[in-house]
Amino acid sequence: MQRETRIANFVLGALSALSLLLLSLPLSTPVRSLKAGAGYVLNPLAYHGEAGYSRVSSLPSRIKQLLLADIENERLRAELRRGEWLATTVSALALENERLRRALVLKPAAGRSPAWVRVMERDPIHWYRSLVVDAGADRGLSLNDPVLGPRDGRLVAVGRVVDVRPNTSTVLLLTDELSAAAAYLSSGTLEGLVQGQDGPRLRMNYLNAEATLSAGDSVYTSPTSATFPPDVLIGRVAKVNPRDPFLTFQSVEVSPAADASSLQELIVLRAKPLEGEAKAPAYVPVFPPVVTPVAASTATVVPSVSTAPPVSTTARPRRRAPAPKPAAPVEDESAFESVNPEEAR
Amino acid sequence: MIGFISGFFVFVFAMFLQWWWNAHFSYWGAAPQFLLVLTILIAARRGPILGMLAGFGWGLYLDVARAELFGSSALLLTLAAYFVGVARRQIDLRAISPLAATTFLFSWAGFVGLGLLGLVFTKSFEWSGWIAVLATPFLNVLAVVFLSVLWDAKEAR
Repeated sequence: MQRETRIANFVLGALSALSLLLLSLPLSTPVRSLKAGAGYVLNPLAYHGEAGYSRVSSLPSRIKQLLLADIENERLRAELRRGEWLATTVSALALENERLRRALVLKPAAGRSPAWVRVMERDPIHWYRSLVVDAGADRGLSLNDPVLGPRDGRLVAVGRVVDVRPNTSTVLLLTDELSAAAAYLSSGTLEGLVQGQDGPRLRMNYLNAEATLSAGDSVYTSPTSATFPPDVLIGRVAKVNPRDPFLTFQSVEVSPAADASSLQELIVLRAKPLEGEAKAPAYVPVFPPVVTPVAASTATVVPSVSTAPPVSTTARPRRRAPAPKPAAPVEDESAFESVNPEEAR
Repeated sequence: MIGFISGFFVFVFAMFLQWWWNAHFSYWGAAPQFLLVLTILIAARRGPILGMLAGFGWGLYLDVARAELFGSSALLLTLAAYFVGVARRQIDLRAISPLAATTFLFSWAGFVGLGLLGLVFTKSFEWSGWIAVLATPFLNVLAVVFLSVLWDAKEAR
């Protein structure tokens, strides 16, 4: 007992002295080192304890999520099976369409290979003019590739590639004043040229002067468009402009389907797929089928707008300096839009 | 060897228990001081030396979380173990009632000691708050009774 008391007194003296030293010299290097060392050894207890506790406490919600994921997985599998059937049907239709085109001695439509890209950069000053995406020559993008964007579960026209760099590309939006696309109105077979105005709205020119136009009509890309595949939604007629007695055509204001302020992911229809990628057959609709009341995919008998002069984007004068300038010269002039179907072909 | 391993397990588990309770079951600063209770219990059952060593280690663990007064909890738990070791020669601390009374006393003594250490080393009385000061001793008594019963049951086996 005496020995235990002596040892206890000694331990008490040593530990008390150490404690008082720690208390009296809190900022000295040895004490700070000891505190840091103690923290290094003991803090993981709380850290891993918290991690383990949160893991255990979140177990019920994790199990619930697992069950929900399983249910969603089943639903997606069923959807995928339906999608496979749809893809088979579409492929068969595409082949049939190609055969018929050959039989009618029509120029086969170019096959397109889709590539999803992300919007990387936008210039706030030129909000309605262009944007930069995170794919370039490395992903097989080339000049004048059409660019579509998702909107309410369908793909709508956004613009075209005007500058291809190794890893990035510039997309000229339809709303840019240099943009133009041959288009038609859903209410009839009226064709015109949709042009950008550097603003939120587009303008559709060269509509038949005698036609009756109404707001709310859908505007789709025309089969005569050299850039876009046919029947892709561009927007809706927002306003019918009053007739100008000095012009031989009418025009309407079009509200674009693609919201310039919310574009995040886009799909580029590449003319030249990368090596190793399966080349898409001619005219493969890479977007959800669009219900088009008129002017189906047969790009044969589209009446030319006789009152409208042939206009191409290259011929239009610029009102101010362009934001995105193509880095390389355009090799194929026919890649530009034209209202004249013959010229487009 | 088995005793050392089980002792180490208890040492670590006690810190984990204290952190867990403080983090998830502490209301308005009131929570049982498991580390103080275990220090008292070990000193009462196994003697002051083991109690002081364990108390000093647990005190350092409590002090790591403090912004200042590093070493105060280590000193207080060491002193608590020593005085319990001295008291157990006079009082039968194996019985529940004296153990509960000792725990109650040392709980308040701990608050007062912490305040005085603050007064000495930081020139301000370290006040833990009325709720903690009034409620914690009772929670400590409940904890020491529970742990004591648990200890006895384990020893009886």
